[in-house]
Amino acid sequence: MPKTALLAVLSLALAGSAAGALETAARAAAQARVPLLESPRSGPRPAPSWRNTSWLNADGPITLESLRGRVVLLNFWVFTCYNCTNTVPSLVDFDSKYRDQGLTVIGIHTPEFPPYAGEHDKANVVRALEKYHIAYPVAQDNDDRTWNLYGIRYWPSFVLIDRKGRIRYEGAGEFHVGDADYRLWEGRIRELLAER
Amino acid sequence: MRGAAALALGLLAACAADRPRAPDAAPPLVLRTVPAGDSLRLVLDAAPGWRINARVKPVLESADGTLLRFDATGLTPDSAYFAEPPVAVVSARARNPIRGTLRASVCAAGEAVCRVVRLEVGGKR
Repeated sequence: MPKTALLAVLSLALAGSAAGALETAARAAAQARVPLLESPRSGPRPAPSWRNTSWLNADGPITLESLRGRVVLLNFWVFTCYNCTNTVPSLVDFDSKYRDQGLTVIGIHTPEFPPYAGEHDKANVVRALEKYHIAYPVAQDNDDRTWNLYGIRYWPSFVLIDRKGRIRYEGAGEFHVGDADYRLWEGRIRELLAER
Repeated sequence: MRGAAALALGLLAACAADRPRAPDAAPPLVLRTVPAGDSLRLVLDAAPGWRINARVKPVLESADGTLLRFDATGLTPDSAYFAEPPVAVVSARARNPIRGTLRASVCAAGEAVCRVVRLEVGGKR
């Protein structure tokens, strides 16, 4: 997906009140419409190695190298994102159905806001894992490093990596157990699991 | 205009992208001010087709670290989004100008993703 951004400058003037005049200049960063479930970008390419140090549902940091030979589904999410938490049941389902067949689901928890919003707090993430019954590993990505490494722009986003460590599919957007997008992702997972 | 504010909004959008801007890529938020007695209400409006995430409330971050949070009582039935424009209130007598970074999480109808919008707001009275 090409990197797209919109810079907008707002100028705002307020006059005629007891408060006097207010002039405001604003710059907005937004993005064009999201091409959901667009993938692959330009054929398989090596997945970059993440280096997150804070993990949940794991004995210690999990590396991409340690997962060679497995299919890996990365989910970039944050617990304050409704679209993200709506998609979690599908990921829990994938984890339940395909972990033993070679799938590793990994949540990359990337905050939207600065630390004051609470998204960086490990205890809050732990509560979210309990609330949504997430048993697969989740890495805290509080510095956005893995988010940037993979060029992610939206919550939730997904990256599907094959057994050889290559990115095969990418996409973004909420989906639900049994819907068309769920079936699409499940088909992709099964396709990569069938490869040897 | 007596007892109310006349609001003039000028919008200039420039694309800093590596491909043409999509036709629907308009800024999703507008900040307006409404005098209310000794206070000034900052009202954050979402453009048509956009919703503001209520799970992480919009914040105006001042350069001195002060946080001004936007909130509203009306939420969508799933409590995920604001059903009415979130508001922050400041004193109309405050000397400091309204200036800082406005941050909000927004979602566009039909896209099923969240994104963060940042507005650099600089003003003087």
